[in-house]
Amino acid sequence: MVAAPQKTLTISLFITLNLISILPLLTFSFNPDEPTNRQILVLLDDLSLRSSHSIFFSSLQSRGFNLDFKLAQDPAISVKRYGQYLYDGLILFSPSTDRFGGSLDLEGVLDFVDSGHDLILAADSNASDLIRNIAAECGVDFDEDTSAVVIDHTGYAVSETEGDHSLIAADDFIQSGVILGSKTIEAPVIFKGIGHSLNPENSLVLKVLSASSSAYSANPTSKLSSPPSLTGTSISLVSVVQARNNARIMISGSLDMFSNRLFRSGVEKIGSLKKHGKSGNQQFATEISKWVFHERGHLKAVNLKHNKVGETGEPAIYRINDDLEFSVEIFEWSGASWVPYVADDVQVQFYMMSPYVLKTLSTNQKGLYHTSFKVPDVYGVFQFKVEYQRLGYTTLSLSKQSPVRPFKHNEYERFITTAFPYYGASFSTMIGFFIFSIVYLYNK
Amino acid sequence: MVRKFGFLVAAILVLASICESAIFNPISESHRSAALEIFSPSDGSFGSLEETYEALRTFEVLGIEKKPDIRTSACASVVDTIWSTSSPLKDLFHALRLNGILKCELNNEALGGIASRLKDSLNDANSLFDFHYSVGGLVLIKDQISEVDVHLEDADKKFRSIKALSQSDGRWRISSSNTESSTDAAGIALETLAGVISLASSEIDQSLIATLKNDIVKLFDGIERYDDGACYFDEKLVDASRHQGPLSASSSVVRGITAFAAATSESLNLPGEKILGLAKFFLGIGIPGSAKDFYHQIDALSFLENIRQVFIFAGSIPLISSFPATVLSVTRKDQLKVRVSTVLGSASPPLSVKLMQIFTSGSKDASVVDQKLKFDADNAVHVLETLPANVGVGSYIFSFEVILDNPEDKKNYATGGRTKVSIHVTGVIKVDSSEIAILDSDLGSTETQKKLELPGENAISLSANHLQKLRLSFRLTTPFGHAFKPHQAFLKLRHESGVEHIFVVGNSGEKFEILLDFLGLVDKLFYLSGKYDIELTVGDSVMENSFLQPLGSVELDLPDAPEKAARPPPLPVNPYSRYGPKAEISHIFRAPEKRPPQELSFAFLGLVLLPLIGFLAGLYHIRANLKNLPKSTVPATFAFLFHLGIAAVLVLYALFWLKLDLFTTLKALGLLGIFLMFVGHKTLSHLASTSSKLKSS
Repeated sequence: MVAAPQKTLTISLFITLNLISILPLLTFSFNPDEPTNRQILVLLDDLSLRSSHSIFFSSLQSRGFNLDFKLAQDPAISVKRYGQYLYDGLILFSPSTDRFGGSLDLEGVLDFVDSGHDLILAADSNASDLIRNIAAECGVDFDEDTSAVVIDHTGYAVSETEGDHSLIAADDFIQSGVILGSKTIEAPVIFKGIGHSLNPENSLVLKVLSASSSAYSANPTSKLSSPPSLTGTSISLVSVVQARNNARIMISGSLDMFSNRLFRSGVEKIGSLKKHGKSGNQQFATEISKWVFHERGHLKAVNLKHNKVGETGEPAIYRINDDLEFSVEIFEWSGASWVPYVADDVQVQFYMMSPYVLKTLSTNQKGLYHTSFKVPDVYGVFQFKVEYQRLGYTTLSLSKQSPVRPFKHNEYERFITTAFPYYGASFSTMIGFFIFSIVYLYNK
Repeated sequence: MVRKFGFLVAAILVLASICESAIFNPISESHRSAALEIFSPSDGSFGSLEETYEALRTFEVLGIEKKPDIRTSACASVVDTIWSTSSPLKDLFHALRLNGILKCELNNEALGGIASRLKDSLNDANSLFDFHYSVGGLVLIKDQISEVDVHLEDADKKFRSIKALSQSDGRWRISSSNTESSTDAAGIALETLAGVISLASSEIDQSLIATLKNDIVKLFDGIERYDDGACYFDEKLVDASRHQGPLSASSSVVRGITAFAAATSESLNLPGEKILGLAKFFLGIGIPGSAKDFYHQIDALSFLENIRQVFIFAGSIPLISSFPATVLSVTRKDQLKVRVSTVLGSASPPLSVKLMQIFTSGSKDASVVDQKLKFDADNAVHVLETLPANVGVGSYIFSFEVILDNPEDKKNYATGGRTKVSIHVTGVIKVDSSEIAILDSDLGSTETQKKLELPGENAISLSANHLQKLRLSFRLTTPFGHAFKPHQAFLKLRHESGVEHIFVVGNSGEKFEILLDFLGLVDKLFYLSGKYDIELTVGDSVMENSFLQPLGSVELDLPDAPEKAARPPPLPVNPYSRYGPKAEISHIFRAPEKRPPQELSFAFLGLVLLPLIGFLAGLYHIRANLKNLPKSTVPATFAFLFHLGIAAVLVLYALFWLKLDLFTTLKALGLLGIFLMFVGHKTLSHLASTSSKLKSS
């Protein structure tokens, strides 16, 4: 009677501890409970961009985002009030701004991202130090030569009026359905702007659109005397970052890329015979903005369960060599609802300082992943860990603690055949002693 | 200032992205299709009366025939608004504007009622917009129907009060309480004042008109200007929530001055170059994305186009020279074409286009030519049939001048002096005498030399050590036989490990040559021996056959790296490999301890039982007996209990082995022990006394 409440207490403590370990997942700005109706602040150099880039903006608005347009120098800009962020995303279409108005500054933007919010940044050949610094903090280094633009003499978009080959038809996309959508982008993307390189020490930044191997970043009007700092496929035109807190960032060296003019324009890449009636820009920009604003590739894991084979409840402790079953459900946000996530590479680890068991989970194609395995014959405090890191998807990092104990003294095997001679020896001695004691005492 | 600069930069970029050196294209088919896309009615209407008017006005200016049919619904709402006594002035004004386009069936009675209502509101109007809507409404009624009397008796007074409301210290503003100056307000005020002038029943005081003319000239003095000749009116009162900006402000001013000029038939002395600049600004925007901007652009352009009918500005109808193509290929024998038209794309008066000057890109030298372009009447373009002799492959800036054939036209049209256009003349560049060689360092003698096919397939394989040099050379000539210097001439060495090195191939005279002295380069190459792939990239914006060509490989034998040598930079990690699933791990369980076979255990069990059997056999052999058992009852009972006790202890041991724990066992053993001590003492003392008796006897 006394033990029962105590046991309940232990279990509730246990559950609380587990919840605390899962809790960080729930505190992202992208709130899995209320994923729609999101506020985005758009900072512009000039309000005419609203009209010249209206297709991009209206595609966001039609997907349910509330865009708040402000001039980058507007003194009323504030992203935070009483410690609460007013926006879920920030679009910086203000390449030449060297100081934001209001209270926003470089640290403000970084804090915004650090608190899990999303950022789209577009620069161009007039990129200010502020914009370059924001990009550099995200692991993207724009070409230091401020007059340089990306030039590609064998991969430019044919144009009757632009002859300096800085209008690039780029088609070297990242191979990722989650970032760029399941539909392949057929037409090249027209890019006009500056190139950047990725900081090799930053493992979170990814090249989404890279230049061809003949591209280079230089001033088209001056003669080159030394090799340009950026050449070939190491030039990234558009990059994305997914931070550890699942905040997503897109950085593009071209603002024109998002303009109505290039959205509508046809494209013919030099050397390719195919002329596309419409460039890939609109598809590219729309799909990548879907990714940035978590309409794709945002996973959540629920119902992490484990139990002994044949039982249903979760035991407080496992014994070594028990057989157990593990299951977890994973869903992906589709922009409107949570749909089952289907993959064949979700893995669970049974972990104590290092994984003792690492097993790929089998799926029922409806979001449920499950497996069963034998508890290792090592006792200690173990964790069930699901560490799911895939290109473009949010990181799933779940863990649930479960101790493992050794056999109790009475759980070992008894009456081992090998020991029979010992048993026999003891008993025969005992019988012998008994008989001897009688015979010794009463013999005459 | 900063904001203004920001805007300037951004706007220049927008412009620059449209046309490198200020080529402005007149309104074309793409505008028309975009208009139909932007102004697309939802549920059979465009929304409010204002939006409907803007859509229909745009369609009218662009001459779009296939417009959506919304006449019935729009007319219904026009009639509703006009008949309703409670509709606000703004809606009345837009309804009347819309009626001007749609020509809905409205009787004079209705319009008469409106006219008196508008006049009444004029008397107690206290903001610029009130005046604007009232006066604008009256002007529209006057234009649409002549029977209704819309004349204003006290026009002078109204004129003064509007002026007082909207202007102070030369700054225009929306209302007297708002002191911020606004160019938008200037346009609206001008339009309203023009309306008052046209509605005046008696002549307006000339001095008022003269001041206003002066104000307009002042307003134009404050015009902002881009490098490419485009001019605009900046709007200082920018509010992101309203559709305001330079575009709406400029558009508003254009509307205002044309209305004023039409009302007064005065000649305004405005420079044609500024009017042309405004036209360039509106065209420079390209195709706006929002309906409001689209309307402002098209509406303003239509006023600029129709300045002709107003007959007031000297030489003021802007003519725009547009260039369908500025990249000319020598191989395709492209001809440079110039099309001169008005802003909305209608034909220009007879004129001729002359190529005046040619600047070579990157240098200040200009060569003067005076070449007249041939007019191709079928396509309405002026064609430069042959490029001037000194123009080869390269980038140039051509300067054109438009000259009107008819001197009369000079009064009406603005051509804007010289137009500068950046022209790229492209051609196929011949690559020859290309070879690659390995040289011995000290002597300079050639070790191996290979010819290269450029552009073409090459798969040379060379080998060199750090004491040797690699030389690559080639020659580039234009189709005209001149030496050609491309912007990009890179030699790339890529080590098997992925480390890349890029060298710029320099030119010495006619020849391009690079000499790689490996002794000086070992440090740069990080002392990495092995196979290096060679790649040559030659490209230029005017080179039609720019190429990126793998040439083959060179096997380098470099000395070992000294301790302090720089390490190669870390290579970027392939993102695809970083995110794959991990290899599975399954726990290796401890192997169960090895046990002998059962048979062996049983055999040993038999063996350990043998001594017991031997013991029993021995007892039998020595004829062991129990004759010494006590005969009397009491000792016999004690003896029996003693041995039963011993048996119980042994059974207790067996039970301990089987199931009992130590504590139970010890407890039972203690009790048994006391019992055994008692009965044992009795039994043994009995036996001892028996034997001592026996001995003594």
